[in-house]
Amino acid sequence: MEKQHKPKKVFVEGPISPDFIAKSIASHQSKTGIGAHAIFLGQIRADEKEGGAVSGIAYTAYEEMAEQTFHEIREAAFARFELTCLHIYHSLGLVPTGQISLFVFVSSPHRRAAFEASEYIVEEIKTKVPIFAKELIGDNGEFEWKRNV
Amino acid sequence: MSLHVLYFGMLAEVTGLAEENWLNNGQLTVGDFRAQVMQKYPALQGKKFKIAVNQRILEDLADIAPQSEVALLPPFAGG
Repeated sequence: MEKQHKPKKVFVEGPISPDFIAKSIASHQSKTGIGAHAIFLGQIRADEKEGGAVSGIAYTAYEEMAEQTFHEIREAAFARFELTCLHIYHSLGLVPTGQISLFVFVSSPHRRAAFEASEYIVEEIKTKVPIFAKELIGDNGEFEWKRNV
Repeated sequence: MSLHVLYFGMLAEVTGLAEENWLNNGQLTVGDFRAQVMQKYPALQGKKFKIAVNQRILEDLADIAPQSEVALLPPFAGG
């Protein structure tokens, strides 16, 4: 019987700070069964568009469905890989270029499960979670709706 | 029957609405609803979207239960 995990709050308003990430790492020092952490960070890229460079992304989501989908992705990852813990954080609202919008933190006794689970989780998030992104371009108020490919 | 309809991302810009109530005489499938919403908002023609009923993405042949929450979801862009 798999352990059930309570749904956790994933969304944070604005960018995810490096300080928050550092504190998350520090809070795992007491979990001494862990031998490997894998961390994936999604950062806003300054893509060049016709109207100028991307200056940031404004995220919105179908929040109730997104939280439920994140929960299902977590449960599937725990069932597939030997994990000790797993945390996912995603931004809502404006995240400027160069800042972090996604933080996936996977911990396992061994490296292989941590590597594989982090890739699996990021790919699942990209295709299954109803999050929408408006890329803000230049400084004339232009924008483009982004889509994952 | 009455549905609660939600529009997200670029689709909310196309319709000019985040949500609305949707009244219909009798049962609707997802495909029926898709046809109705595209008739009401012709600017949705050519836009790619999926339809979630009570937070589950359903195919066009599925029935929509009365009082459902129906969401129009443009392409996902998380990460």
